[in-house]
Amino acid sequence: MGVTCVSQMPVAEGKSVQQTVELLTRKLEMLGAEKQGTFCVDCETYHTAASTLGSQGQAGKLMYVMHNSEYPLSCFALFENGPCLAADTNFDVLMVKLKGFFQSAKASKIETRGTRYQYCDFLVKVGTVTMGPSARGISVEVEYGPCVVASDCWSLLLEFLQSFLGSHTPGAPAVFGNRHDAVYSPADTMVQYMELFNKIRKQQQVPVAGIR
Amino acid sequence: MKDGTQWYFFPSSGSVLDHSLESLIHRLRGLCDNMEPETFLDHEMVFLLKGQQASPFVLRARRSMDRAGAPWHLRYLGQPEMGDKNRHALVRNCVDIATSENLTDFLMEMGFRMDHEFVARGHLFRKGIMKIVVYKIFRILTPGNTDNTEALSLSYLVELSVVAPAGQDVVSDDMRNFAEQLKPLVHLEKIDPKRLM
Repeated sequence: MGVTCVSQMPVAEGKSVQQTVELLTRKLEMLGAEKQGTFCVDCETYHTAASTLGSQGQAGKLMYVMHNSEYPLSCFALFENGPCLAADTNFDVLMVKLKGFFQSAKASKIETRGTRYQYCDFLVKVGTVTMGPSARGISVEVEYGPCVVASDCWSLLLEFLQSFLGSHTPGAPAVFGNRHDAVYSPADTMVQYMELFNKIRKQQQVPVAGIR
Repeated sequence: MKDGTQWYFFPSSGSVLDHSLESLIHRLRGLCDNMEPETFLDHEMVFLLKGQQASPFVLRARRSMDRAGAPWHLRYLGQPEMGDKNRHALVRNCVDIATSENLTDFLMEMGFRMDHEFVARGHLFRKGIMKIVVYKIFRILTPGNTDNTEALSLSYLVELSVVAPAGQDVVSDDMRNFAEQLKPLVHLEKIDPKRLM
């Protein structure tokens, strides 16, 4: 996978989540981007069961198990500020076996769904982030396919982001910061989504009603 | 089926002394599917997660030492299924997962601790869905250093196993028939879990 930047698009003043998504996708279509199917990234949260905590004497940790439709046969599991494991989908079956040790916080399942757009070497995904029935925000993912080293193409990515996000263009993602010359991997994208989902979870619920 | 990926694992085991290895390999080459002889050198680590439950949760992490770039392999094996005592093979629930290289770091972050590790070197054969593995176990003398090992015994372990979807009991008859053909070179039988306790 090429270097990817995942960011949040704030909801436009006086508009709903859906309307803001439409504004953004219309801008992309005017640029010349072509629709290429849909995408979905989801995230479930697990916490260490109380029974395991006592014997280890450490505070409970949160573990995130995520899926990305771009990699349908994979499953990603990660800890905040910890390692991100890429595994096949049997990992979900293992989590069922581990339910005595890790409990799923069902209410915090969060996902983003939307359309994929191809614009030359860029793949843009604009998604509506939902928790249960309510829309909580908008995610924007941009991948620059030809390059796998972040420091080599960040300026180009930034320029492209500015062309359709304008003043809402994000800064360089934290995952780029540590390892300038490291090869970018799908796990880095999942870390960005995890950070985005956590930020959205903490935000106040969007006052306008969700998708109808 | 509630869970579409419940797989059963049937190991039947025996052993041969080092000097009988060649005859066994020769016979297996004749009986098994025609394929390039496959050898392997793997490093396996067994991890435990202790909770309030009486028995800890066991996971096995395995990596190839001679195939660069191969994914790591994580395996969960459940308790032996108590069922038909006439069944000729031991049956356990099994979940196999291919993972990225940071598996051990991840397991530690989950709270698992390594219980023991070893190196296995041997040969792999297949006959249909049956897998026959002839291997030697090596003890790792310094934790984490797989170059410094010592053979555990003067024999090779022989294991005949199948991973199949739940309910395919007819498989164990095929295993018994195959095991018959390996006698008297090696005697394969199912391990009674109670004998190990």
